[in-house]
Amino acid sequence: MYATRVLRQAAVHAERTPLIRFLGPRTIPSSIDHTPQPHPASPSGKLPEGFTAYYGRGDAASTHTSFGAYRDHAQQHGPLQKTIGTDAGIGGSSGYKLGSILPPQGVAFDVSELPARFRRQPLDLSEIEAIESGGAAILG
Amino acid sequence: MLASRLIPRSAIRTLPSRQLASPVAAPVLSRWARGFASASEEKDLIIIGGGVAGYVAAIKAGQEGMKVACIEKRGTLGGTCLNVGCIPSKSLLNNSHLYHQILHDSKNRGIEVGEVKLNLQNFMKAKETAVTGLTKGVEFLLKKNGAEYIKGTGSFINEHEIKVNLNDGGESVLRGKNILIATGSEATPFPGLTVDEKRVVTSTGAIALEKVPETMTVIGGGIIGLEMASVWSRLGAKVTVVEFLGQIGGPGMDTEISKATQKILKKQGIEFKLNTKVVSGDTTGELVKLDIDAAKGGKPESIDSEVVLVAIGRRPYTQGLGLENIGLELDERGRVIIDSEYRTKIPHIRCIGDVTFGPMLAHKAEEEAVAVVEYMAKGHGHVNYGCIPSVMYTHPEVAWVGQSEQDLKSQNIPYKIGTFPFSANSRAKTNLDSEGLVKILADPETDRLLGAHIVGPGAGEMIAEATLALEYGASSEDIARTCHAHPTLSEAFKEAAMATYAKAVHF
Repeated sequence: MYATRVLRQAAVHAERTPLIRFLGPRTIPSSIDHTPQPHPASPSGKLPEGFTAYYGRGDAASTHTSFGAYRDHAQQHGPLQKTIGTDAGIGGSSGYKLGSILPPQGVAFDVSELPARFRRQPLDLSEIEAIESGGAAILG
Repeated sequence: MLASRLIPRSAIRTLPSRQLASPVAAPVLSRWARGFASASEEKDLIIIGGGVAGYVAAIKAGQEGMKVACIEKRGTLGGTCLNVGCIPSKSLLNNSHLYHQILHDSKNRGIEVGEVKLNLQNFMKAKETAVTGLTKGVEFLLKKNGAEYIKGTGSFINEHEIKVNLNDGGESVLRGKNILIATGSEATPFPGLTVDEKRVVTSTGAIALEKVPETMTVIGGGIIGLEMASVWSRLGAKVTVVEFLGQIGGPGMDTEISKATQKILKKQGIEFKLNTKVVSGDTTGELVKLDIDAAKGGKPESIDSEVVLVAIGRRPYTQGLGLENIGLELDERGRVIIDSEYRTKIPHIRCIGDVTFGPMLAHKAEEEAVAVVEYMAKGHGHVNYGCIPSVMYTHPEVAWVGQSEQDLKSQNIPYKIGTFPFSANSRAKTNLDSEGLVKILADPETDRLLGAHIVGPGAGEMIAEATLALEYGASSEDIARTCHAHPTLSEAFKEAAMATYAKAVHF
């Protein structure tokens, strides 16, 4: 035993250190910089001018020079289209110009004709099953 | 009907005044319904293109718990690779190699066969069986991972909405939080030659010829051109390859390997005209006539052939995508411009695969597909563009990864070389298949692997070892000291690594 240990110790200096070493389990860096960088396979190695104009929508003050520029790129149930000052689209005309919001005589509104987001949420199959089974299906 | 009498409040508000005067319910209602975001359920990710990039991203996104839809217009998933590219060509390459071996090589091996006949119809059927099996398999994988597959043509309406012209008729609009462009590429046409996929063909037509042509000219000596040249040459065509550059295999292939490959392919009966340009083509006669000249000029001649294969490269495919509707620009070669996280200038619209930067390879697209979904779902992904292998499936195969000798020379990077011929490899010898060599390039100071280049039997499989070593940052000694089974072709790789840092034992 002792002799082996001595021999091993003597051989330590002669042993080769491989370039490949196990670095431990993979870890995710706690902070990642997401600012746009050129793609590694990009032939020019740089991003075109104005490429970053759309980025950082969350912090409007830092990326948009004016409220108009911010609004051009803002999102609310999809991109906010520039409708003010044009005839088409929601917000294209003032409420006053559109007239009364009350239905004409003899006309009534039906819930089913409202946009889906105002309607009752449809049940999906798993929910129906869960209700019918008294909740047992969720566990199964 | 209630619906015909009722007009929703919002509809009234958006109606122009002349329509208000006589409200007609039906058309007004349909316009109103479309104008709202809630007309269709919003997806976490919409993928345009169901090729390797698109379908892999769809599966990965499904696995990450995203609500995903993949739009594909071909009618089958898998894109160029599975339908008209890598997969069908591999079927033809493998079966034509078997046919050629039975015809010309069986006697040397002590196998005597009777009459050997080619049944091209069944030959093509075998290819189609492979393709159908794989595309159906992909469709199943999408379903299994909860990804919706929509057969149709997608185009941008705006930054979040995609209009889909469904293959079965009709149209629908999809909304997505994220959109991924993965529309792939198409064969670059040759100016002045109209592709009819019968006499003047691209790779798509070259895998579906109805008879073996007597003569075939291949414009472009890259990977696709040489693979198809091999197939039809083995089946009996007299093939001439015309290449503008001074070497075959494209600019990425190591020059020494390229020369060795050319020698082997020439022995197989393929004729090469390097440093030669095609000036014009004429399809009016019985044969297709190509006027060619030396790349520098002064050596005009013409070639007549039954079929001309145009294999001068591929170009990004963005036709009909409606990029103009969202203001996305392309670079000078038609590629979508992206950043290191695959984002276009509109951050929630990303792009991967052949339609953007990098080599047009299916496995590169696949890597990107996984990475791009990880960027969306987790914020980080990984593709090492310095470590993407290339394989040419001729016989023998040619494969490489990392930098070539000419790359290193041009960048003034010092290197040392180790080579090992398959003629000294026991397995290659016993297989009577010992043409080719392995070449390894390493840093002279640290011994770190810089590139590996193989021409020889099984090169396409062997390159995986080199790729792993390069990705891990191994030295040539690390490879050489790793035990390789005997007798295997991969011993040639180990011996080449030994030759890089010391000396090969068997050569």
